[in-house]
Amino acid sequence: MQATELLRRSFCYRRLDALGASYAEVNGGALAQDFGDTKAEAKAARTLGLAELSVLPRTGFKGEGTPEWLSGQGVALPEQSNWARRQDGGGLAARLAPNELLILDSESGEGKLVAKLNGAWAGESRPPETPRGFPVPRQDSHAWFLVSGEKAAAMFAKLCAVDLRPHKFEDLQIAQTSVARLSAVVIRNDLGGTLAYHLLFDSASATYFWDVLIDAMEEFSGRPVGAAAVKSLIG
Amino acid sequence: MKILNCPLNGPRNIQEFVWGGEVTEMPDPNRCTVAEWGDYVFLENNTRGVIREWWCHAATNYWFIAERDTSTDEILKTYPAGEVFTVRTDFEVPEEDSKG
Amino acid sequence: MTTSHRLPEPFGLYIDRSRTLGFDFEGRHYSGLAGDSLGSALAANGVKMVSRSFKYHRPRGFLTFAGLDCNSYVQFGDEPNVQADRLVLTDGLSASALNVSGSLENDRDAYLGHFSRFLPVGFYYKTFFRPKGAWAYWEKIIRRKAGLGNVDKKTPHGYYDKAYLFADVCVIGGGPAGLSAALEAGKTGAEVILIDEEARLGGSLNYAFGAGGQERASKLAAELAKFDNVTVLNPALCTGWFADNWLAVIQGNRLYKLRAKQVVLASGSVEQPMVFRNNDLPGVILGSAVQRMIRLYGVRPGSRAVVCTGNDHGYRVAQDLRDAGVEVVAITDLRNEEAKCVEAGALAAQGLRILSGHTVYEAIPERGKRGISGAVIDSITGEGEVSGSGETLACDLIVTSVGYAPLAQLMCHCGGRMKYSDALHAFELDERPKDAFFAGSVDNGFDLEAALAEGAQSGWSAAKTAGAKVGKEPAKPGAKGAEGINYPWPIFPHPEGKDFVDFDEDQTVKDVINAVADGFEDVELMKRYTTVGMGPSQGRNSALNSVRLTNKANGRGVSGSTTTTQRPPFKPESFGHLAGRSFDPERLTAMHHRHVEAGAQMMLAGAWYRPAYYGRKADRLACIEAEARNVRNNVGMIDVSTLGGLEVRGPDAAEFMNRMYTWAYKKQKVGRARYLLMSDQTGAVVDDGVACRFSEQEFYVTATTGGVDGVYRAMLRWNAEWRLKVDVANVTGAYAGFNIAGPNSRKVLEKLDCDMDLTAEGFPYMGVREGRIAGIPVRLLRVGFVGELGYEIHMPASCGEALWDLVMEAGAEFGIKPFGVEAQRLLRLEKGHIIIGQDTDGLTTPAEADMLWAVGKKKPFFIGKRSLDIMAEARPLERKLVGFTLPGDSPVPEECVLVIKGDRIVGRVTSAARSEACGGIVGMAYVAPEDAVPGKSFNIKLEDGAYIYATVASIPFYDPDGKRQEL
Repeated sequence: MQATELLRRSFCYRRLDALGASYAEVNGGALAQDFGDTKAEAKAARTLGLAELSVLPRTGFKGEGTPEWLSGQGVALPEQSNWARRQDGGGLAARLAPNELLILDSESGEGKLVAKLNGAWAGESRPPETPRGFPVPRQDSHAWFLVSGEKAAAMFAKLCAVDLRPHKFEDLQIAQTSVARLSAVVIRNDLGGTLAYHLLFDSASATYFWDVLIDAMEEFSGRPVGAAAVKSLIG
Repeated sequence: MKILNCPLNGPRNIQEFVWGGEVTEMPDPNRCTVAEWGDYVFLENNTRGVIREWWCHAATNYWFIAERDTSTDEILKTYPAGEVFTVRTDFEVPEEDSKG
Repeated sequence: MTTSHRLPEPFGLYIDRSRTLGFDFEGRHYSGLAGDSLGSALAANGVKMVSRSFKYHRPRGFLTFAGLDCNSYVQFGDEPNVQADRLVLTDGLSASALNVSGSLENDRDAYLGHFSRFLPVGFYYKTFFRPKGAWAYWEKIIRRKAGLGNVDKKTPHGYYDKAYLFADVCVIGGGPAGLSAALEAGKTGAEVILIDEEARLGGSLNYAFGAGGQERASKLAAELAKFDNVTVLNPALCTGWFADNWLAVIQGNRLYKLRAKQVVLASGSVEQPMVFRNNDLPGVILGSAVQRMIRLYGVRPGSRAVVCTGNDHGYRVAQDLRDAGVEVVAITDLRNEEAKCVEAGALAAQGLRILSGHTVYEAIPERGKRGISGAVIDSITGEGEVSGSGETLACDLIVTSVGYAPLAQLMCHCGGRMKYSDALHAFELDERPKDAFFAGSVDNGFDLEAALAEGAQSGWSAAKTAGAKVGKEPAKPGAKGAEGINYPWPIFPHPEGKDFVDFDEDQTVKDVINAVADGFEDVELMKRYTTVGMGPSQGRNSALNSVRLTNKANGRGVSGSTTTTQRPPFKPESFGHLAGRSFDPERLTAMHHRHVEAGAQMMLAGAWYRPAYYGRKADRLACIEAEARNVRNNVGMIDVSTLGGLEVRGPDAAEFMNRMYTWAYKKQKVGRARYLLMSDQTGAVVDDGVACRFSEQEFYVTATTGGVDGVYRAMLRWNAEWRLKVDVANVTGAYAGFNIAGPNSRKVLEKLDCDMDLTAEGFPYMGVREGRIAGIPVRLLRVGFVGELGYEIHMPASCGEALWDLVMEAGAEFGIKPFGVEAQRLLRLEKGHIIIGQDTDGLTTPAEADMLWAVGKKKPFFIGKRSLDIMAEARPLERKLVGFTLPGDSPVPEECVLVIKGDRIVGRVTSAARSEACGGIVGMAYVAPEDAVPGKSFNIKLEDGAYIYATVASIPFYDPDGKRQEL
C-alpha cells in the first residue's frame, strides 16, 4: 500500500517512501513496517535504529484535575513529573508536569488506551462539576520517533546537552529539553532489554529531525528500521 | 555555560532558559499615580545584590523564580512561582463593560 | 632510513624506525619516520629555519617544540597557520613556509628587517593615518606584506561536528601530575576524563627525566588503562574553560562540550625565553625543546651548543645534549653561586666549561641569517647589564633554561588570576575558580615526586567533592621545589636592538619601554599599543618578560602585578570547529510539498516555509495578480497552517481573555469568533488574531505566525502571577489550516462530505463550528482576511495534505487555485486589514492604528490599559494610520518611504500595491492626525527623492460594506 492511500499520514512519509518502505494500516495511517531488509533492521534496532511511529495513537491531557480524572479512567500514573509508567495492556503514561500527562499507546498501536481515553473525555458532558483537565492534541502536535540500540546514548551526545547515558538516565525517565535545537520530549523506554528512547517533538519539524538523526547515526552505522524491527525487540 | 536548576526539569544549561525580567509587584492599575505606573512599566531597579527574577524553561514553557546575586552572577536558589504568588489576583471593577 | 641528525635508540620514543615517510617542504623532498611531526622530521634533516616572522620577515626556527609558539607555523595545503611541531607527519605530506615573498630561503621581503628602526612601536598608528584617507592606500600594501598564510576560498567544507561529554572529574594534562590525578580519581569509581594534547601520555616524564621517566609514564598509563571509568581523550586540546566547569575540547574534527563536576588542572608550564640580541634566530632554543627533540623524536638538535641557564634544569639539558652527541662548548650560569645539583658536579668533573655569573649576550648570525654561528658570552655586572668585554664562542645552538610560566590560561577563562611572585620570580595562581584543583608545574610544583603526590591528592579531592566514595586520603606532597627555578631577570637589552620580547609580533625591549614612555604604562595598555601578547601564542612566551619590563619602566615594580586578561581560546581554533554541523530547525506545513509541486516560490516566516506565490520568479507580479483575481472571481485556497493556535480553557477562560486582549470576551457567544488585539505593558500593539468560543469555558485563539510563541509564553507568565482557573495550550503545530476564499467557496465545501450546515443562515459570517469533512475532524471558521465569502478550515496536521487534495479536487470545476502570501497581502490591503509588524511598529497604539473599536473601554484591566489611558489623557495623537490612493500613473511607493509635512517627517508608508480590484494604487500610511480625513492629501517622499501627493481614502477600499464576505 501507499502512504497516500490513507487520510492520516506520517509527517515525513516522503523520506520513508524514498527508502522503499512497506506500509501497513494502523490507526488510520500507514505505518512503515520495514524497508526491505527485516534481518538487518532487527539487528540495527539492537545497535542503532530509527523508527518513525507518528501514525501510532497518542494523546495528552493537562490542567487542573487531570491526574485525578486519568486515575479514575484506570491509568496508572507516575508519581513524579518527568517519569513515565508502563500500562497494563501496553502503552505508557508520561507525566510531563504535575497536571500534564502524555499517553502513548503500545509500540504496536493495538493498546486501544488512547481511543478509550479520548472517547471517555468527549463522552462526558461539559462543563464538568469537578475539574478534569483538557485534552491536548498530541497525535498531531508532536511527531513520534523511536531510537533504539546500545549506541543510542552515544548518538544523542551529539545532539543533546542532557546526559542520556543509561547509567545516568534511568528507564522510564523523561527529559524535556532541546535536541538539535528542537524542543523535544525524550522518554527512555527500554524494549525487551534493549535501550530505547521515544522522541516526541514538533510535527512540522519531522523532516528536519529525521535528516539530523540519520546524519548523527551514520558514525555508528545506525539506520532506519521499520515497526517490525521494533516489534522484534519486544519479542 | 552556567547551569540553572529548573524546579520542574532539574539542572540544565542556561541556554535552555529565557530570562523574564525582575519579579516586581504591579501597582493597582486603577489607583496608582502616573509616576508609579511609569516606574513599574519602564524602570529597572538595577539592584546590586540578590534579586528575584522570572525564568522560563523554553522546552516546557515552565515559568519559575530564581534568586540571583547580580554582583557575582551566582544563582542562589530557584522555586516555583506559586511560592511567591499564592493567591488569585483580581482587578477591581468600576463597572463591567456593557459589551463584555 | 636515518638521516645525519637522527639519533640511535633509545632516543626517539615517538618514532617508528621501520616506517619511512616521504614529504615535501618548500618544494624540496625529504624523508622522515612514522611518529615524527613535520617539525621533528625537518629537524632530523637538519632544517632549522621553518618560517619567517610576521613583521620583519626574520628567519625563525623551533622554539618550544611543543606547539606553544608560532615560530614554526607553516602552510599545510589549504590550511594556514599549522604548527609544524604538532603536525603529524604522513606520507606525501606537503607544506610551505609562512610570511615569505618568493621562498623561505630567499625572501624578497627580508630587507624589512633593516627597516626595523624606522618601524617603531605605534608606527602604523602614527604614520599611515595622516593625511586623512592615507590608510586606505597603505592598507592594501601592508596587508599583502603582513598577515599569516593564505586562505583558499575554494576549499571544500570538511565535516566538523560537536558532541557533549560528561564527567565527575576532568583532568586537563596527562603529565606526571595529571596521570596521577586521573589514576587516584579513577580508583574511586568516579567518571574521569583525562585530556592531553600528546598522542602518548606522560608529559615531561617522557623527555625531561631520562629513561626512568619514560618507564614511569608507561607504568602510570598502563595502570590507568585498567579503569573502565577513566576515558582518555588524546591527542585532544582543551581550548576554553567556562562557567560551571563547561569545557571546550577539540579532538580531530570534533568540538566537545564537556561538563565536569570537578576539574583538575595539570596543564603544566611553558619554558620562557631569554631576551638578548638575535634571540629569535633559528638555533636559539629552549632547554625543554631540545629535550623533546632528543628524547621524543631522536633528533640531534645541533653539533656545538652553548647552554645558558638560570636554574639547575640547564645542567640536565646539557647532560642530555652530551648524551645525544652534541658538543657543549660552555655553560653560562646567570647565577653567581655554583650550581649544587648532581648533574653540575658530574659535568664539571668531565671538564666542561662552566661560567657562573655569565650570560649569553648576543647570538651571532651565520651568513644569510638562517642560523647562528656563535654566541657572545659576557659576565653580568647588574640587572640586565654586562661588562662589555665579552667573548665569542663558535656554536650552532644556544640553549636557554631560565624559568617557566604556568599554562594557567584556561583557569583565567573562568575567573582565575595569576600574580607575579617576588619569592619565585614567577607567575603563580592567585584567585582560583571554584570546583577546581591544581597540580604540578601549573601551580609551580617542579619537584617530580611532589607533583605526583599533588596530582594524587587533587584527583582524590576532586572525586570526593564530586560525590564519589573515596578511600584513604593519599599522602601529603613534599616541598614543591618552586624556588630557584625562575631566574629573576633573564633580559639583556642590546643598544643595537633585535632583542625580542615577543616573537609572534616582532616586538623588542625598546618597543615595550617606548610604549610606557608614550604613556601606555599599564600592561593592558602596553599590550594593545605594542601588540605584545596579541599574536597566536597569546603571550605564552612573552607575558613574563613583558610584564617584568613594563613594570620596571613604569617604576611600579613587578611585585604582585598580574598578566593581561586571558580569553578563550587557549590556542587558535579552526572555523570548522566553531561553525561545523550547526542545527537550524525548519518547519514544514502538512501541505508543503503540494506547494512545491505546484511551482510555488517558498519564503521563510520564522522557521516556517510558506508559499509566496505560484509560478516563475520572472512572472512574479502577474502570478500575484492572477491569484488575487481568482479569489475575487472564483475561489482560492491559501495554507494558513503557520498561524498560531492556542487553547484557552477553564472556568476563568473569558476573564483571562479579557486581561490578555484589549477587547471584551465575557459575553462572546459560543459558536462565534471575535477579533483579538493584544497590546503590551506600554500600550503598543503586539499581536492579533481571532478568538473562537467553542463552549463557555473553551476558546480557540489564533495568533500571528511570528508572535504565537511569545503570546503563549506571556499568557503562562501572567497566569503564574494571577493564578486564574485557566489552562493554556499551544496547539500551533497540531492543526494544519487553509483558508478557502472566494464567491465559489461554499459550493466547493458543499461538494465535499461535510456534516455542518453551510447555509448563510445556519452558519453566518464570524461563525465557528466543529464537525467533519470527508470524515476528518475539523474546526471551521467563517472569518476572512481577504474580504470574500470564505472559510478557514483547521484540521489535524497529519490529515492536512489529504484534505488539501480533496478540496482541490472538489474545487476543480469551480476554478479553485492555490494562492500565496503575496496575493493575500494584496487582498487584505484592499480590505484595509492591518498586518501586525508591517503596518504597526514597536510604538503603535490602538488609537494610532485607528483600532479603538477593538478596545474595551469599561474593563478594569487589560495588559497595556493603564498606559493607554495615561497617553490618551496626557497628549494628543502624533500620527494616525490611514488608507490612501494614488493616481494610476504613479509609481508604487516602497514600504517605509516617508510621509513629509513641511519640514517634518510625520509618518511612513506601511503597505502599498497596485490593485486591479480597486482600479489603482492603494496603500496605508501614518499621517499627521489632522490629515487623517478622507479626501485630504499628504506628501510622500519616494526612494529617489521625488515627492508625490497621496489622497486619504476611507477603508476598506474594496467592498466597503463587507457584503461579499457576509454572503
